[in-house]
Amino acid sequence: MNKEAPLSIAERDFILNALREDVRLDGRAADQLRPLKVSFGEEYGHVKVQLGRTSLVIRVSAEVTKPHEDRPFDGLFTIAMELTAMGSPAWDNGRQGDLETYVTNVLDRVIRHSNALDTESLCIVKGVSCWSIRADVHVTDYDGNLIDGACIGIMAGLQHFRRPDAVVKDGQVIVYGLDQRVPVALNITHKPLAVTFHTFDEGKRVILDATRKEEQAAEADVVFGLNNAGDVCFMSKFSGSPVDAMVFVNKTSVALDKVKEINAIIDKALQADLAMRAKKGMAEESRAENDR
Amino acid sequence: MVAPSATLSTLNRADGSASYQCPSTGSNILGSVNAPVELPGRRDALKPEDATIEVFVKPGTAPAGVGERYVEGIIKTLLGRVILGREKGYPRRGVVITLAVIGGESVGRGDPYLVLLPALLHTALLALLSASVPLSMTFSATVLAVDASGQIRREPSAEDAATAQSVHVLAFSSKGHLLLNESQGSFDFDTWEKVRQRASAICHGTQLVSADGDVAMVEDVDGRPLEGTLRETVEDQVYRDYNWKINAA
Amino acid sequence: MSSPLVLLPGDEVPSEYLPASSSAPLRLGAGLRLLSQPHPTTTSSSSTQAPSHVLTATQAGILSTDTKRNALSILSFPHRRYIPTANDLVIAQIHHSSPDYFHCMITPQAPHAVLGQLSFEGATKKTRPMLKQGDLVYARVLSIGLGAGAEVELACVNPATGRAEPGGLGPLNGGMVFDISTGMASRLMRASSSTGEQQDGVAGLVVLDELGKKLEKAGGFEIAIGRNGKVWVDCSNSGDVAVKATVAIGRCLTTIDEHDLNPADQKKLVSRVLRELKIEV
Repeated sequence: MNKEAPLSIAERDFILNALREDVRLDGRAADQLRPLKVSFGEEYGHVKVQLGRTSLVIRVSAEVTKPHEDRPFDGLFTIAMELTAMGSPAWDNGRQGDLETYVTNVLDRVIRHSNALDTESLCIVKGVSCWSIRADVHVTDYDGNLIDGACIGIMAGLQHFRRPDAVVKDGQVIVYGLDQRVPVALNITHKPLAVTFHTFDEGKRVILDATRKEEQAAEADVVFGLNNAGDVCFMSKFSGSPVDAMVFVNKTSVALDKVKEINAIIDKALQADLAMRAKKGMAEESRAENDR
Repeated sequence: MVAPSATLSTLNRADGSASYQCPSTGSNILGSVNAPVELPGRRDALKPEDATIEVFVKPGTAPAGVGERYVEGIIKTLLGRVILGREKGYPRRGVVITLAVIGGESVGRGDPYLVLLPALLHTALLALLSASVPLSMTFSATVLAVDASGQIRREPSAEDAATAQSVHVLAFSSKGHLLLNESQGSFDFDTWEKVRQRASAICHGTQLVSADGDVAMVEDVDGRPLEGTLRETVEDQVYRDYNWKINAA
Repeated sequence: MSSPLVLLPGDEVPSEYLPASSSAPLRLGAGLRLLSQPHPTTTSSSSTQAPSHVLTATQAGILSTDTKRNALSILSFPHRRYIPTANDLVIAQIHHSSPDYFHCMITPQAPHAVLGQLSFEGATKKTRPMLKQGDLVYARVLSIGLGAGAEVELACVNPATGRAEPGGLGPLNGGMVFDISTGMASRLMRASSSTGEQQDGVAGLVVLDELGKKLEKAGGFEIAIGRNGKVWVDCSNSGDVAVKATVAIGRCLTTIDEHDLNPADQKKLVSRVLRELKIEV
């Protein structure tokens, strides 16, 4: 099926009528995010994102591999997102739906193509070996706004992740375990995030961070990808009814505010996690090693 | 031995779900069950009088491959024995079970999933219970590794399992049936019998056939039987969900 | 109920939990099944009439005994998927129509149920309601069909009397639908169907009474609860605050569903939500 059950006419009409009175079902303002919680697991690069009732788990991992022939100086970076029946009963296991293709494409464009992760720093030996960084996105609960949630998770994961240290000795690549040498943080060039808006009522009403039902009732969606400095690295309006150009202009500044707000939340979570790890100290580090 | 910890009904969208944390392997598995649902496009493949079970195992940091397909088959066969697919509302419908390894080390590409198998099975069982899928009985499972000296080790780490002489996964139903017996490596029948006894003690903690001192000690080491831990997890959730009713009474 | 007995699949129902009266037949509800004892009864000379059948659970939950109806059932987890059962009231959504039937959706990702084009109060070929895709109806499950994979049939009318019994069956116009758990739906159903004024409410719920009292001045509201985990709310009598009042009711119900709230907290929640939405009470 791979398709959410359609909304009833009553729901569609009500959501629209309520928006005309500036009321959203969960009581939020039009430009307000749902409560966002970013937390980290025990391993590096293990992130849990809870955005309202949408929740995701992102895991970043690294392995040594051979670089592409045409780009011998570059490491690899892949974003893997597979929607399973866990996130929504409407999704089929093992079959790619339109949503999956669309979201993966946007994530690629916002994070990968904007060079958020400096892939050149992943090179170990030119043309012979490099790091391959992989971000797996597991959608555990889907209640709208997958793109923004996944972006938050991947960016938090990349900043949290530490890859093992590797050195080249006599033409041999030696990878040190996490306990042998202090693992290395990834080289992040900037922190882009996606901010998605949905339009209603012939573009007169524009809301941020739509829930699943709001997404279904919307006319069109507009996605911005930008970083703290306000550099827009992605902008799209793939489908739906036309949107006035002024919406793009006006909402870019709203999006910038939101990106700053979200990045602050991520930073805070990262700091808290770092402090906790420091407190646990080396004792924890060595114990974790014994467990393995 | 630290008991595994689990939580039921952790997700909103799925009909049933469970999160399972196995302390010895460090793995964290999230399971969801959607049932009974229509499986479109597979109408011809459906059994006319029974439910169709679909199991999907999603590794944490790698694309799914042969290893996942293999372990899915094992889980599906075992669950097929306990799910009552002929109860009202279930025939010709699907029971879709999704298991994602969201924490802990991933199983290497192509490696067998034996070390993770009990955790996957327990997660699937708890998620099925959470979705109220009718079952004939519950079960518990454990993995044991036998090293070169014949020492049996409970819930080995991936490295231990790799160096072990043989690795065994056994599952017992709540009625004591042996539901699953997956072994790997070389071993003789005596070893397997010892493994079975130990596994039974871990799962049930029941009296063993041979009640010599050695076995009694083993029971001490294993602490509470797994079955009890699983039952407690379910009871906790029931009490939480029916708090309003229990308080009113 | 002194201390609730929690059963897991495969557990036998202890005989002391069976309803005492043996004259009426025992009704088995969801989550239980009768098995004949496979092995011969234990060697005991005293009880020659040892039961040859046992009741075992098939779902995990609290064993609930209804002595009045002589019924026994398992109260399972409230988030489970709805499985149509005869006589349940559900909120169905029209998916498409064929010459004789409306094909409706009761739960997503489940087969459609059929609703006769004439299964409405006073409906004839000329007066039958013209429902289109996405319209909602409040209907009763007439039958779930025989055999595997049979179609579920709905009706908005009692076939015996030709009336919409219980009242309110039929198309639902306007309003809004909120999703709640199936467990919450059956609790609300019991809470709203009882008439007795109880301090603590029925099934631990006072939210509907409280909302009713507070919103009375604004014009009150209409509500329909579907066992399939849907609540339809309409406040069109409330004039200006219609939308806000509807949102308030939806938020109260979904919040209580998510976080188990005791009656006192439910009242607080109602006041808080109404205040946040600036509804005068």
